[in-house]
Amino acid sequence: MMSDIGTWDIFRNLLLSARWTIVLTLTAFIGGGIVGMLVLFARTSGIKPLVLATQGFIELFQGTPLLMQMFLMFFGLALFGLDVPAWLAAGVALTLWSAAYLAEIWRGCVDAIPKGQWEASSSLALSYSEQMRHVILPQAVRIAIPPTVGFSVQIVKGTAIASIIGFVELTKAGTMLTNATFRPFLVYSLVALMFFALCWPLSLWARHLEGKIHGSRAH
Amino acid sequence: MALVHIKDLRKSYGTNEVLKGVSLEVQPGSVVAVIGRSGSGKSTMLRTINGLEIFQAGSIEVDGTHIKGFSKAALRELRLKVGMVFQQFNLFPHLTAGENVMLAPVVAKKMPREEARVIAKAMLEKVGLAEKFDALPENLSGGQQQRVAIARALAMSPKVLLCDEITSALDPELVNEVLAVVRNLATEGMTLVMVTHEMRFAREVGDHLVFMHHGRIHEEGVPAEVFDNPKTPELAQFVGAISA
Repeated sequence: MMSDIGTWDIFRNLLLSARWTIVLTLTAFIGGGIVGMLVLFARTSGIKPLVLATQGFIELFQGTPLLMQMFLMFFGLALFGLDVPAWLAAGVALTLWSAAYLAEIWRGCVDAIPKGQWEASSSLALSYSEQMRHVILPQAVRIAIPPTVGFSVQIVKGTAIASIIGFVELTKAGTMLTNATFRPFLVYSLVALMFFALCWPLSLWARHLEGKIHGSRAH
Repeated sequence: MALVHIKDLRKSYGTNEVLKGVSLEVQPGSVVAVIGRSGSGKSTMLRTINGLEIFQAGSIEVDGTHIKGFSKAALRELRLKVGMVFQQFNLFPHLTAGENVMLAPVVAKKMPREEARVIAKAMLEKVGLAEKFDALPENLSGGQQQRVAIARALAMSPKVLLCDEITSALDPELVNEVLAVVRNLATEGMTLVMVTHEMRFAREVGDHLVFMHHGRIHEEGVPAEVFDNPKTPELAQFVGAISA
């Protein structure tokens, strides 16, 4: 019988499913990072249609619940006859959601670079992309690392929502194990503990990086 | 034939007109010193010469390049000819002194790194900082940073160098080392347009003095004459207030 599943089995099964939480997090972080970088470039380019389009993108994904984004990706595309598997819908939705937030976080870091850096590099005949690559981004990246690592915690927790569309990660595995064992308190405690074990080191690392950067500020 | 032609330049921020028809010619090899109160439009005028400020009417021509429409290509062509040194130095803090100087030749002029390195060394030597090639800006004094900034502008072999109050952010004891570099440049025949509060320096090194007041060139001429015999009460008052 299913109810013969012991505590150790629960733990082991949850641990195995946590792999998919990690895979989904990495997918969203890397994919979101790449898309977010493109959005950032478009957002700060000063080219009107690009600025408006990226503004709209950011507003849309920051202004609606991640859950709705996943539903729309999963069920919405199915209406058009596209069979989207849960992992793909979850991956794409989390990637776009992460991109919207990362682009805004990074834009704040780009904005924090003094105007004089833009003017000096402009007066040296550098183009916009050359300025970004050689002058602005190297400085912005330094201050962007702590909030970026901090945001990765939000991505880890965001993956839990993928359970709703049937993607078997940590949370969904927890639900399935609860249904089989009728021990929700134990199961969800373990689920929470595993999320915490993933998130806490990231938070600590982000705080450590922040301290390092503020400590080395010479001006 | 003048190197820089500015004609009837007008610029407004909203309804506030900061340049009300400025005309100026800069001869090759000459040093033009621009003085005036803060808010007189002197820095704005200087910044229009390399396209850091747009303007609504008038024209600017530098060595045959017209600033028209502020297209990216036109601005780039212009900025290859015009160097600029800022009040706040604006060195790139993540790059060493040498890399600061090398960056634009390598990136904007597509010069091989080795060639750019030779030029950067020569330019740093020119400003007396050959031994600081590998130093980061944060480890340099204000005067040294400003000299690196001058070397950085010179590495692009500009036709004209704009200096925007380049000693105003410096401690008094560091002003002279920067002025000495500028004096050398002037002696070598570099064309300079400098907004400055260093009246003695303007008088000594300048070939042409421009006094700006309320967005206009109020008075101009040979520095010694303009300083000694101001024709307008505004300049007399300004010169008096400075030397008092």
